[in-house]
Amino acid sequence: MRNAFIDTIIDACSEREDIFILSGDAGLGVFDQFKEKHPDRFRNMGIAEQNTISFASGLALSGYKVFVYNIIPFLFYRCYEQVRNDICYQELPIVLVGVGSGITYAPMGMTHYSVEDIGLIQTLPNLVTISPMDPVEARAAAVYSLNSEKPVYIRLAKRGEPVIFNDSTFDITAPRIVRDGEWIAVVFHGSISDEVLEAYESLKNSGIAPLLVSVPTLQPLDAAGVISILSKVDHVVCVEEHFVNSGLGSMLARLKTEQSAQWGLTLMGVPYGFIHEVGNCEYLRSFYGISASEIIRTVTSISGAH
Amino acid sequence: MVVKQIKQAASQIRRDVIEMAFRSGGPHVGGALSCVDILAALYHKIMQLENWEERDIFILSKAHAAMALYSTLVSKGIMSPDLLETYCQEGGRLPAHLDRFSGRGIECSAGSLGHGFNIGLGVASGFKQRGSTRRVFVLIGDGEAQEGSVWEGALFAPTMGLDNFTAIMDYNDLQGYGSPSEICCFEPVASKWSAFGWYVCEIDGHDHNSILRALAEDSCGKPKMIIARTVKGKGVSFMENQLIWHYYIVTAEHRLRALEELQ
Repeated sequence: MRNAFIDTIIDACSEREDIFILSGDAGLGVFDQFKEKHPDRFRNMGIAEQNTISFASGLALSGYKVFVYNIIPFLFYRCYEQVRNDICYQELPIVLVGVGSGITYAPMGMTHYSVEDIGLIQTLPNLVTISPMDPVEARAAAVYSLNSEKPVYIRLAKRGEPVIFNDSTFDITAPRIVRDGEWIAVVFHGSISDEVLEAYESLKNSGIAPLLVSVPTLQPLDAAGVISILSKVDHVVCVEEHFVNSGLGSMLARLKTEQSAQWGLTLMGVPYGFIHEVGNCEYLRSFYGISASEIIRTVTSISGAH
Repeated sequence: MVVKQIKQAASQIRRDVIEMAFRSGGPHVGGALSCVDILAALYHKIMQLENWEERDIFILSKAHAAMALYSTLVSKGIMSPDLLETYCQEGGRLPAHLDRFSGRGIECSAGSLGHGFNIGLGVASGFKQRGSTRRVFVLIGDGEAQEGSVWEGALFAPTMGLDNFTAIMDYNDLQGYGSPSEICCFEPVASKWSAFGWYVCEIDGHDHNSILRALAEDSCGKPKMIIARTVKGKGVSFMENQLIWHYYIVTAEHRLRALEELQ
């Protein structure tokens, strides 16, 4: 996903003189090609997150389209206030490109995970937030962010994820049906897609294929689109690599209440609490109950009661 | 001639600050008065503001002194005087800290300290990158200079040759609840900035000739830091150097006495 996103931005730089890329001493090798072609439009801002975001805001005020690249917690946790006041309050066209969504960086430890960022963005008006599930969505997110006049946050995992759904014409701001199903839907965003797909194949073989819905744009949430896509299902399972209490699941719960939606809702995510468990991403997903087998178990259990 | 003009403008700005503070019943009059001479010199002499599209940029990073900026913009004819009446009023346009959408000449939203300084560096870098001769001036407070973000910027800016960037520190040595030189190891402040690779001047921040000279000095390819020694509450005897006038409210009696002194 990372390379699909970055390559799209770098391609655009050949035609656009106004693009500037800032990195927070992250992304070894990612920008080599860009630095070679446009040495005056790339800057390693070092390990100084507050200065990075304010500086980016100044560049944007002077007319540049600025992309800031960092690992998610360093992109906007320490410098949350700079993102709030300098970027969002001032409505500047800056794109925050974050890598290491959820527990991608396991076993680096809690300081390097981003399991609360979707909670934070809901406190940041004007910040369009896109969490692509595969390289196709990542490319569409890049195109969207290049054209956006608003601040954008892109929530990426890492590199090497497979293409899940190849549809050349789709709207990245709307929810997408990526696999057909009947009365139960699995709604998700971002890198948990591989677990969701694996679960789907297995469930399909068992005769309970769920409707798979990717919601790449989390803010602003296309509420009408979500309600419409889910209108034919009885139950919704939301799965995400994020705290269960403050991500897409909580948005769906609010939506369900506001719209008096009739579908039942089951939330799957990382339990609210600091992660002390050690292991790789696959292990932690399994440990915290968001692996393919846990999705299969949850859907099967709802199916049994249906 | 120029100095006389700046002096007159500064008096008018101070009177407006007192009126705004009185009408709004709001704080920050002391810190607004301490930077008035610097703002008057910038807007009435130093900054290029005639060709608006190519204007120099001023960022008030210590944005709690917003009253001083609003009044300065009015004195220069950039902002409508009617707007001053709406300062902090219900349904008004001008808040106590800066919102860049509130009026012409407000280049940058600010209020939380340690933001505008670094934003200014970004603007200056953007201008350089485009080959523009536009300049950036940022006013920071001495209390504000305790923010880590300021030192991140201090460490970083000299590598970029931002000789189009000037920071002015309004060193009135009084913050909300104390004095910077007592709260932390603030001094020697000038040599700290020199050691970081900045071109540093130290001046009396109320002497218009000194302000003009420091602003005009060639910084030899470096970003410039002007340490301006100022007096909090400058111009109103009973406010000068008084800690309470960071937050104290201007009453009708204060207003009359202050305006008398500022004639």
